[in-house]
Amino acid sequence: MKILVCIKQVPDMESKFKIDSAGTWYDHADLAWRMNEYDEYGVEQAVQVKEQVADADLTVLCIGSEKVKETMKKALAMGCDRGVHVAEDNLSSREPYEIAAIIAEFASDKGFDLIFTGMQSQDRGSAQVGVLVAEILSIPSVTTIVDFDYADGAVNAKRELEGGIRSLVSVKTPALFTCQLGLNTPRYPTLPNIMKAKRKELISIPSEDLLKIEPRQQTEKIYFPEKKGGGLVLEGDASDLADKVIQILKEKTGVLA
Amino acid sequence: MNFELNEEQSLIREMVRNFAETEIAPSARERDEEERFDRTLMFDKLGELGLTGIVFPEKYGGAEADYISYAIAVEELSRVCASTGVTLSAHLSLCANPIYLFGTEDQRQQFLTPLAQGKKLGAFGLTEPSAGSDAGGTKTTAVKDGDAWVLNGTKIFITNAGDAETYVILARTDKEAQKHHGISAFIVEKGTPGFSFGKKEQKLGIRSSPTVELVFENCRIPTTNMLGEEGSGFKVAMKTLDGGRIGIASQALGIAQGALDEAVAYAKERKQFNTPIANFQGVQFQLADMATQVEASRLMVYLAAYKASAGLSYSQSSAMAKLMASETAMKVTTQAVQILGGYGYTRDFPVERMMRDAKITEIYEGTSEIQRLVIGSALTR
Repeated sequence: MKILVCIKQVPDMESKFKIDSAGTWYDHADLAWRMNEYDEYGVEQAVQVKEQVADADLTVLCIGSEKVKETMKKALAMGCDRGVHVAEDNLSSREPYEIAAIIAEFASDKGFDLIFTGMQSQDRGSAQVGVLVAEILSIPSVTTIVDFDYADGAVNAKRELEGGIRSLVSVKTPALFTCQLGLNTPRYPTLPNIMKAKRKELISIPSEDLLKIEPRQQTEKIYFPEKKGGGLVLEGDASDLADKVIQILKEKTGVLA
Repeated sequence: MNFELNEEQSLIREMVRNFAETEIAPSARERDEEERFDRTLMFDKLGELGLTGIVFPEKYGGAEADYISYAIAVEELSRVCASTGVTLSAHLSLCANPIYLFGTEDQRQQFLTPLAQGKKLGAFGLTEPSAGSDAGGTKTTAVKDGDAWVLNGTKIFITNAGDAETYVILARTDKEAQKHHGISAFIVEKGTPGFSFGKKEQKLGIRSSPTVELVFENCRIPTTNMLGEEGSGFKVAMKTLDGGRIGIASQALGIAQGALDEAVAYAKERKQFNTPIANFQGVQFQLADMATQVEASRLMVYLAAYKASAGLSYSQSSAMAKLMASETAMKVTTQAVQILGGYGYTRDFPVERMMRDAKITEIYEGTSEIQRLVIGSALTR
């Protein structure tokens, strides 16, 4: 069985972000980097399937500069067998369709039975890449999964919907899954596995070798939301508050006649 | 000179930090208040992560990582719980390491492997009521009787004792020899008849780490349990403590870093006179001094660790690192309590525990006075 898990290196969300000089992305300087949190669940799920199916090979793929290899090592230390680094120094200038095309081009002749991605990245958050990859490869995709069960070439996965509802989806492999937070409990890479990770194969492919399409969208501008005026805090008992709110909605906004 | 952590060291830091913050930190206060050692959390789980044999070869169940990785692991654990940091440090440096350095192949297979795998917890018994800094004043005796050594005496202030299965013990094998001559090292296992535990100390700090008395009353151990050559015990102890100093220096560093992080976070939130106190130069100067001392201590620890892994002589470096890091920990934690003010004095905030924990780092595994002796006598030889 062959499994692929796609990960992205993103900044720690606690970082202080600044807009870059072009005004189209955040400045990369002085940030702490980590694996996209959604992808951690993907790696953990992929490793669990590998442990379940005796003869499975698990590849981790990541697009970005040399720096992302550090994050790939974590995936290798969690249990991936080999890594594919797609070298791209200007990752933030690539739009989701280009990212998906690169991954799909790599995967097209490999015969992966299962492909895992995160539901979205914590920085761009387009939530498109996983689905686009599946579409290009003409395989089914199941998004926002919070439960995953593989047996004999088929998967029963649960998707998280609005209001806490879950839907059960059954699909035959090959298939792609985008992972939601809480799908599983990502393991700590043990020290012996961290040491072994450096001996695992990690190849680099230039992104130009895999990118065969033109971009279809570009980021025009990125900016912080404008600071609005202060809010109003009302105190009192419920029925009085209701009257006050209705008054304010009538007088200050156009939502009530 | 490369001052950057390599990829493995960075991953180790990330892993241990995540584990420490998620699993160890939540119970740190409670375990300190209850003086409770939680073996599953503070040792068995470290074994599952492969931390209990960090520096030893794979053939003995170790991870074959370097001493900087060891320093990082102890620092990150100590940052949230100094008791957990010393549990690992004493186990690795004071028990597993001497068996690795001085043990026969059989002893390594029999005793080192379960320690490295985290199946057994280790401890080290050198200190006695009348032999602390004066380790040559050891009164515990070991007398040969047929195919056994018979141990009599007591050891006090022993970390991990009671829970640990494996003990490296120093005892006098030659009564005629003076001072530090005539002492030998032995491996003694819990459950050996004649080996029991006495008083558990009630301490100022590291209260979640058990500190217990060992009692030997005609305790017979096989002659194959002697560690190293007869009479070489003092050398075994000193070499063991050199490595232990890196562990304690890392523990002190972790305590200091934890306190610094708390102080910075508090200063940014706490408002007085209409502004966060972090905006006052007085507070910024204090934090700057704390951060500078912590960073300097870190470099001292890494230098000693680097030398240990490179096979270079490192006694002086480890003494300097331990001296500096422990004094830094005491200063930084005390200053952190000051910055947190009245709140810092209460148990609702962790800095008072960190200050209580820091004190012991200036005392055990060689007091600051002994470290100064080691450094000074090396300089003036």
